[in-house]
Amino acid sequence: MPNMEFELGLALPTPNIIKGFDLNNLGLDQPKDMGGLEARNKAARCFSDKSKRSFEQAFGNSEEEYKTKTLLLWSGQPNEEDDHKDQKKRTFSTIDENDAEEVDQVVGWPPIKTWRKKIFQQQHRVGRIGNNRVADTDSGRSIYVKVKMEGVAITRKVDIRLYHSYQTLTNSLITLFARDKKCADDDYTRYILTYLDKEGDWLIAGDIPWQSFIRSVQRLKIIQKICTFWS
Amino acid sequence: MQKKRAYSFPDEVLEHVFSFIQSGKDRNAVSMVCKSWYEIERWCRRKVFIGNCYAVSPKMVIKRFPEVRSIELKGKPHFADFNLVPDGWGGYVLPWIVEMAGAYPWLEEIRLKRMVVTDESLELIAKSFKNFKVLVLFSCEGFSTDGLAAIAAGCKNLRELDLRESEVDDLSGHWLTHFPETCTSLVSLNISCLGSDEVSFSALERLVGRCPNLRSLRLNRAVSLDKIANILCLAPQLVDFGTGNYTTELQPDVLSNLTAAFSSCKELKSLSGFWDVVPAYLPALYPVCSRLTSLNLSYATIHSPEIIKLVSHCPSLQRLLVLDYIEDSGLEALASSCKDLQELRVFPSDPFGVEPNVSLTEKGLVSVSLGCPKLQSVLYFCRQMTNAALVTIAQNCPNFTRFRLCIIEPKTADYLTREPLDVGFGAIVEHCKDLRRLSLSGLLTDRVFEYIGTYAKKLEMLSVAFAGDSDLGLHHVLSGCESLRKLEIRDCPFGDKAILANAAKLETMRSLWMSSCTVSFGACKLLGQKMHRLNVEVIDETEPPCSRPESCPVDKLYVYRSISGPRSDMPPFVWTMDEEGTILH
Repeated sequence: MPNMEFELGLALPTPNIIKGFDLNNLGLDQPKDMGGLEARNKAARCFSDKSKRSFEQAFGNSEEEYKTKTLLLWSGQPNEEDDHKDQKKRTFSTIDENDAEEVDQVVGWPPIKTWRKKIFQQQHRVGRIGNNRVADTDSGRSIYVKVKMEGVAITRKVDIRLYHSYQTLTNSLITLFARDKKCADDDYTRYILTYLDKEGDWLIAGDIPWQSFIRSVQRLKIIQKICTFWS
Repeated sequence: MQKKRAYSFPDEVLEHVFSFIQSGKDRNAVSMVCKSWYEIERWCRRKVFIGNCYAVSPKMVIKRFPEVRSIELKGKPHFADFNLVPDGWGGYVLPWIVEMAGAYPWLEEIRLKRMVVTDESLELIAKSFKNFKVLVLFSCEGFSTDGLAAIAAGCKNLRELDLRESEVDDLSGHWLTHFPETCTSLVSLNISCLGSDEVSFSALERLVGRCPNLRSLRLNRAVSLDKIANILCLAPQLVDFGTGNYTTELQPDVLSNLTAAFSSCKELKSLSGFWDVVPAYLPALYPVCSRLTSLNLSYATIHSPEIIKLVSHCPSLQRLLVLDYIEDSGLEALASSCKDLQELRVFPSDPFGVEPNVSLTEKGLVSVSLGCPKLQSVLYFCRQMTNAALVTIAQNCPNFTRFRLCIIEPKTADYLTREPLDVGFGAIVEHCKDLRRLSLSGLLTDRVFEYIGTYAKKLEMLSVAFAGDSDLGLHHVLSGCESLRKLEIRDCPFGDKAILANAAKLETMRSLWMSSCTVSFGACKLLGQKMHRLNVEVIDETEPPCSRPESCPVDKLYVYRSISGPRSDMPPFVWTMDEEGTILH
């Protein structure tokens, strides 16, 4: 590394006087404007590319190099680029079908405290009631199932343990999805609630007792009933 | 001719005057007026706040302030909350307790945040301070219910025991039985973080029943809904209540008992808890809703219709914490019902999901900004944002003091224009002149940092992730933000130049955290060598930084000012650079 010459300021460091503490290489081509007030004023005066270019000129080609790299390259050596690119393709998310452990591709993102994350993880063990039952004996454990409504983009999840009858479940779902569908009429008999059972069949909800239903349901789907005059 | 002194008050008078000055900042100013004021002030300082436990040693504090009754200490950097600080990094409170046990026998209050507290420390507290009153352990860890038992048994005049968000090894719910029958002094008890094991409920009931001054009680998840009515009837004077599990088997009496119990609480202003909410029981809260100023529903998986129903009963609400189940429609309802709202936090219900599971967008936040003129503090997780929305929000809410926006997918652009969100955040800092805390997200270039450096003159804390293009971004912040105290950065292309050019600035701040950036080991060494009042810690769990070339970037860097030099409790994966250029370990 070239000469490490620098100036020692004598005053106590304050935000306004940082000129003396520029520990960058102070060669002859070092612009003064990295050192303090001048740089700040420059930045403040205009947001045009002018100041940016002068900064680049000052620090030479290395800046160019940095700019062409993607963000993930910053966290490692240049030759790790390919690995990081692959990692990036998997987003900061889990694979939905899998109710196994959450796979956090990026540590600490999104910025949610650990204990909150634990609560989310408990809440999002989707639908596999068998596993849930094996895992614990606490009858209060939530059972989350996905609910999709024909024509609505958002797939929601409800904890069916919070409901004690088909009626309460249906009422809640209607309120939940009514806004999305923007139904001109609120005649809900035009929609029927179907569910995916343990055997993988889609059935109409309401035929079996509620307790059996919540043991069997994997997913819910609200579909439009085809209006037939003679049914 | 001898000049007469402008004043000649006896010391006792000055001391009396100083006793009206409570804020640490003001007291620091007072102590710098002259030597005699320094002396008087230091003898009568009762409360000390230490924002970084490694900035000063316990002996130094005790030497300067011999008569302290209340101490507040913070340990790990903020990013420890998100698992970015490896276990074992530090933040141990025991050395402090040991020193204070000898020097401050009359210590009454200990407040700790992000520190490692052991059962040994708790036992020492219980033994050493005869008049101990307040223990607050905020986001702490390392202790078990055995330590709590020692506190319960040993502190005869305990007023406050607050374990908020701490990680406690829950060995036994019976620690509560260690509160002697003679203990009637409790004012605040927060055990919401304790695991779902059995809490000795009968002991809890007895304790609550014999403490007539109890104003704040936050239960943990193990306490089910049917038990709450009893507790509330024993403590109708509560101002702040945290429920346990808001669920139970559907029984006819539960709702009516609960409603009656809540009705009897005429002072109740703040509610929290609400794990596993059964919507059918929410109407029990209606008697207290009109007085509620604070509501934390951030564990409640109730959906928008139920949230709207509840919130529309709460016209006095000032603070709401909620999951994004509230959706845009719920936020609209909030904006029209709760005109006194000052603080809003919206947490993601499915942060790792690929597809959005709720209809919560930038529109919800815009509605609230429009409808709630007193809004000051926002934490908002969402999946999309526009510059236009941010500009509108900024114009609607020039009084923001805290603005934290987290767009879940990193580097997300304005979804309408595909542009970076520089202009939007720029509007926030430009309009909100009192902004003290800011967290950025989304696609951001160096430009946003130009805006921040130019406008955010009162900004004290900035959190940055996956943003910026070059060192110029960091330079704008370090050179422009005059009030900056804490800066935390992750995954940004910031390297040596901005830090070295602004080395002096770092001494005016509490700390700087940079992880997954491009600061080289050589720069860290130089910084540590030349800046004697900074501790420069390099954290790397995989291999020692000196086993690689000096130009290699370090994994994690934590720089903080300190007058007690490098610490002596560093784990193997932390290196610090000292004045001689040697690397301590």
